[in-house]
Amino acid sequence: MIEITNLTKSYGPNKGVFDLSFNVNQGEVFGYLGPNGAGKTTTIRNLLGFIHPDKGSCVIDGLDCHKDAATIQKKLGYLPGEIAFFDDMTGDEFLRLMAQMRGLKDTKRQSDLINLLTLDTKGYIRKMSKGMKQKLGLVCAFMHNPDILILDEPTSGLDPLMQSIFVELIMEQKALGKTVLMSSHSFEEIERTCDRAGIIREGRLVAVENIQTLKAERRKIYQITFQNPEEAKLFAKDYEDVVEVSGQIVDAAVSGEVGKLIKVLATFDVVGLDVVNQSLEDVFMHYYNRSDIDD
Amino acid sequence: MISLPLLRATIKQNYKVFIIFLAVLTLYFVVIAQMFEPSVYESMDQLMQTLPIQLIDAVGLKIAEPSLIGYLAGYYYGFLIVLLPLIYSIIVANRIVAKHVDKGSMAYLLSTPNKRVKIAMTQGVFLLGSMTLMILFVTVMGIISCEIIYPGELDIPRFVLLNFGALLLHSMLSGIGFLASCLFNDTKNSLGFGAGFPIFFLLVQMLLNANERLSNLRYLTLLTLFNPEAIIGGTASVLPSFIAMFLLAVILYGGAVLIFSRKDLSI
Repeated sequence: MIEITNLTKSYGPNKGVFDLSFNVNQGEVFGYLGPNGAGKTTTIRNLLGFIHPDKGSCVIDGLDCHKDAATIQKKLGYLPGEIAFFDDMTGDEFLRLMAQMRGLKDTKRQSDLINLLTLDTKGYIRKMSKGMKQKLGLVCAFMHNPDILILDEPTSGLDPLMQSIFVELIMEQKALGKTVLMSSHSFEEIERTCDRAGIIREGRLVAVENIQTLKAERRKIYQITFQNPEEAKLFAKDYEDVVEVSGQIVDAAVSGEVGKLIKVLATFDVVGLDVVNQSLEDVFMHYYNRSDIDD
Repeated sequence: MISLPLLRATIKQNYKVFIIFLAVLTLYFVVIAQMFEPSVYESMDQLMQTLPIQLIDAVGLKIAEPSLIGYLAGYYYGFLIVLLPLIYSIIVANRIVAKHVDKGSMAYLLSTPNKRVKIAMTQGVFLLGSMTLMILFVTVMGIISCEIIYPGELDIPRFVLLNFGALLLHSMLSGIGFLASCLFNDTKNSLGFGAGFPIFFLLVQMLLNANERLSNLRYLTLLTLFNPEAIIGGTASVLPSFIAMFLLAVILYGGAVLIFSRKDLSI
């Protein structure tokens, strides 16, 4: 459905994207992961036809992303990474303008989405919070029931409840056989929704993996709080992959199966057990090491 | 080839500033026209004599002939009719394209099934249309004001021709602003270029008016193409400059749309 072939768009050394190739198949939810400035948005700008590739091509549904940009938009829902609207409009006015420019008559889906996301469209956009603006963008992207969705950091600014609703929305789209490409710098977000993920760094694609494979390879850190420092030390001796011991708190790492850790823990009095949220950088570092890619 | 919903939205965003300029243009016109009383005319003359001649010349306050139209051509069409609509076009031209790209709202417009050419043409139609409406308003308002204050005094055909010249001038000048707005991805450059050139033209024009020895400078400004005294004096000599302004307007607007449809957008 989405085909990117040898795409190069350079903004200087390591800025932009370089010789990028990947496909997103029909009915697939594809996660596009990378730290800020890695080239995610540059890729998406190419897909939307906003910029011309130096080399290579982007094709969506058999159409060239630059030449046929306007035709592609009929079937495409797009959420820009930067939230910028017409400030002097109300939410309603903006959605009406977007619907009219699409030639969209049926606004049933639009009002359903507004209810689902609990969006207040009455007020002026410039007075809306970041989360509200993001919801407005999501309504815009989904309101015409597009076959293909390209979402640039869709959950930024959304609270956890809304993030869950968003995940449901994506699952619903997936069930309907829609194709989704979403970029993110949060592994958790991608993990919950995507079938496959591409990881980009400094403009180059370092991996395209099945999400299950990525999960399996991922090393998670658990923070365990023991009764006292002595117990913590004892545990540190028993468990093989300990990252850090500080007083009664131990950071233990798990790659793949968590069962091993639980077995060891069963013999101790555990006061607390938390998952340490790893930044994407950490996840990458681990991934790169596993794939023997020089850092 | 234009998007009506977008045109409506653009009108809604800009009609206030448009009306303000109409009000200012009307105010100045009525005040200046009022002063055409022959006795006041004399005192105006005396006032002028107290001012340095270079200053008067610089702002183009020359009286070609002692009729009402000659008076208006000098006092209103010499400077104000150039400056005021120019400020309007600089503000609006920057707002309708470059600002959307700079802020990122252009991404939403282009995520609808509308070609870039269509988006740019819609905005161009708005700018050119509102300039036309503005000059048309001045023409009608001018005729009505003159008929009320000095019934039968105004040479209407020549007044209409004078305004037609002003319309061509502003089609060309707004084209510069529009081209800048379509060319640059940020408002800083768009405004700098879109306002810079016309202001440079205006300064050159003022130098030209003030000092005849600098007449070679006339090739550096496009404003010399609009010469109110020549227009009311006779039509034969102004036809080439009218054609030149028209062609430049077509080139600037056409070029702007073409550039916008092809360039890389940072949105």
